[in-house]
Amino acid sequence: MAEVRAEMVANVWKIVVSEGDTVAEGETLVILESMKMEIPVIAEDAGVVAQLKVAEGDVIQEGDLIAVIE
Amino acid sequence: MTVLDNRVVTAASGEEAADPRDPRVRLSHLLDEGSIRLISPEDKSGVLAVTGRVEGVPVVAFCSDARVQGGAMGGDGCEHIVHAYDVAVRERVPVIGVWHSGGARLAEGVESLHAVGRVFAAMTKASGIVPQISVVVGAAAGGAAYGPALTDIVILSDNGRIFVTGPDVVRSVTGEEIDMASLGGPDPHSKRSGVAHVVTKTEAEALLRARQIASLLGHQGRVRDVDEADFGDLLPDNPRRAYDVHPLVNGLLDEPGVELHPKWAPNMVTMLGRLGGRTVGVVANNPMRLGGCLDSTSAEKAARFVRMCDAFGVPLVVLVDTPGYLPGVGQEHDGVVRRGAKLLHAFAEASVPRVTLVTRKSYGGAYIAMNSRALGATRVFAWPTMDVGVTGAVAAVRILKRRELAAVPEEERPALEAKLAEEHEKMSGGVARAIELGVVDEVIEPAKTRGSIAKVLAQATPARGAHGNIPL
Repeated sequence: MAEVRAEMVANVWKIVVSEGDTVAEGETLVILESMKMEIPVIAEDAGVVAQLKVAEGDVIQEGDLIAVIE
Repeated sequence: MTVLDNRVVTAASGEEAADPRDPRVRLSHLLDEGSIRLISPEDKSGVLAVTGRVEGVPVVAFCSDARVQGGAMGGDGCEHIVHAYDVAVRERVPVIGVWHSGGARLAEGVESLHAVGRVFAAMTKASGIVPQISVVVGAAAGGAAYGPALTDIVILSDNGRIFVTGPDVVRSVTGEEIDMASLGGPDPHSKRSGVAHVVTKTEAEALLRARQIASLLGHQGRVRDVDEADFGDLLPDNPRRAYDVHPLVNGLLDEPGVELHPKWAPNMVTMLGRLGGRTVGVVANNPMRLGGCLDSTSAEKAARFVRMCDAFGVPLVVLVDTPGYLPGVGQEHDGVVRRGAKLLHAFAEASVPRVTLVTRKSYGGAYIAMNSRALGATRVFAWPTMDVGVTGAVAAVRILKRRELAAVPEEERPALEAKLAEEHEKMSGGVARAIELGVVDEVIEPAKTRGSIAKVLAQATPARGAHGNIPL
């Protein structure tokens, strides 16, 4: 099980995957917007998206849980 | 002087399988076959010191003997290490330490503490004179932790553990329950502490990485003609979109190099490799992580890398795409001012040839810090996609022209913003102004990148900084 957490304060701009999706290592889960940049959040391990904890438009803080990959 | 025959100590020879902790076995995997000469006696000191070669490059190496008191360091063993350093400094060759040691010998008391201190002093005096590489293949505790930490590069293998005090002491003092791997294994030291520059899945791979790095630093070569690589498709069409900088860094080099600290402060990439056959150090913002922002940790990581390269005469290539320093209370209180200043200092003091290439954004304080002309860049290139300024043009007019923008109806605002941004760019900055001021020398097509940088490095006067490499 791998937790994917936010590295910085950001707006959740786009959700790319859904709970239950199978993802490969390096695949984009969600796209954040911060520092005028669109920053993809990628899966560091392959697996299934067990939980997706954010929605488009959310403001998240550094360390907040974005997703859990199993 | 004894010549060790590597074949005798490999299990494949069919002879009695050797103890993998035998320093002769470990050194035979590190060094070229048949190249090893002992420079210390084989005794019960817990250390074996030798000279040898890696990929033909002469080096000095020493290795803990974990079979004797767990590799603990006493007066004699430390004397062997100090002697190895004397030889390395005299011969001006890299020194590689292979560590598997519980630290200072308890039975020798203050004598062993004094001896370990003498090792630290020898390492510090050699800093910046000869490259020092540490490979930690077992537990390295106390004095054996600070030994590697004083050197330029720390490689940690799967079974390597580095800590000042082990789990038992931690538990008795603080009550924290933790195992050796979670306390000081590859995971915490590659991601959180920054103690390890490179972590590997096996001991054999760790020794191989040490060979690569010793060869890169010990035999730097001269720049030959290079083939071009096409980076045309690398940048996303949308200038706001982040991308991974690794394909650019690896494509710039002749072949993928050795990345240092890949998982610690990953918003800045630091890599040793060769361009046109010559060793170079690459420093690059990685927009995929933190948008490529500089922060306190990445500035410190890059500063140490820049100073190491400068001390050993390794030219620098700096790839810039950064929206600025990361704002936030956490950063300010984490010392982004103090730690960010290290990067300014490192570039400004560097004597080696150093070329900057701005691929896209270069804003604000981060523009200055990323080896700008003002800090003494040898040459500054830009791709046509470059955008430079105190902040992005749109963001700038939102501040500078706030009242003008507020006065128009909301639906007309984006068009006015774009118009004002264009005017602002003409007047205050952008690529044309940067060239006029001489802070950018030349705009180059991506397909001319390798050749343009190689040419500058080939023509530059070789130089190196006269300073040590304090572990910042």
